[in-house]
Amino acid sequence: MNCKEARALFSEFYDRELNQEICEAVKEHLTECQECKEEYKNFRKSLKILRKLKVLEAPRNYMEITQRH
Amino acid sequence: MNIIELSLIENARRGDSHALNELFSQHQKYIFNLMLQLTGDVAQADDLTQETFLIAFRKIHSFRSQASFRTWVSRIAINLSRLEFRRKPKHYSLCREKITVPSHQDNPERVVIKSELQWCILHNLQQHLPNKYREVLVLRDLHQLSYKEISEILGWNMSKTKTYLLRARQMFRQQFINNKCKAFADDYLCICEGILEL
Repeated sequence: MNCKEARALFSEFYDRELNQEICEAVKEHLTECQECKEEYKNFRKSLKILRKLKVLEAPRNYMEITQRH
Repeated sequence: MNIIELSLIENARRGDSHALNELFSQHQKYIFNLMLQLTGDVAQADDLTQETFLIAFRKIHSFRSQASFRTWVSRIAINLSRLEFRRKPKHYSLCREKITVPSHQDNPERVVIKSELQWCILHNLQQHLPNKYREVLVLRDLHQLSYKEISEILGWNMSKTKTYLLRARQMFRQQFINNKCKAFADDYLCICEGILEL
C-alpha cells in the first residue's frame, strides 16, 4: 500500500469500517511511513476537536406546536 | 427499527397523541442540535426544529416505516435547512456572544476559551464547508450515525457517503488550521487533555 492509497482510507480506518485485511495493510503502512503516521495523528486530533462542540437541550417541547394546528 | 418504535409509529398514525409525543420527545434534542450545527444559530435552529415537527405531525399518516423515524425526520429537517441556507448571504459573521457554553463550573478564563473554541468549530462548519460536506460531517462526527443511515438520509450510495466524509474531514481540519482556530484548541486542550498539534 502506498501513501495515496493509505490516506484515502483514513476515514474508514478511523471508523473501523475496513475489513481486516485492508485494516492490517493500513496499519502496516502507518508503522513504516512516518509522514502518514503524522498525518493520521492530526486527522484524528481534528475530529477530537470537532467533537468538543457542545450538545444543548432542546429549548422547548415541540409537541406543543401540534396543539395549535 | 425496533418493535417499540414500530408500535409508536403505528399508534401515532392512528392519531394517538401520546405516541406522537413520545416520538417527538425522543428525537427533538437530536433534531434541534442537528439544526444548530448546520445553521449555527439557536433561534434559527429552534424555528427549523419547530417546522420539522410540524411537517412530521402533518405527514405522519403517510410515513411507511421503510426507514426509521429518525431517518425520516432528519430528511425533513435537512431539506428545510438547505432552503434556509439558500436565503443566507454567502459569508456572514457568527456573533460570538450568541455561542452558548453550557458549563457553569469553570473559571471565567476557561469559559472564554471554551466559547472561542465553540465559535471556531461552528464558524468553520457554517462558513468554510459546502452544504453536503457539512451535513455528512455533522451526521457522522457529531451524531455518530452509521454510514448506512447517513446514506439513507442524504439519498446517496455508500461509496459517495464514504468519499464525501473523507473530504469533509480533510476540509474541516484544513480550515481549522487556516483560520487560526488551532490556537484556541491548543489553549483549551493544554489544560485538560494535553497539548494538541494540528
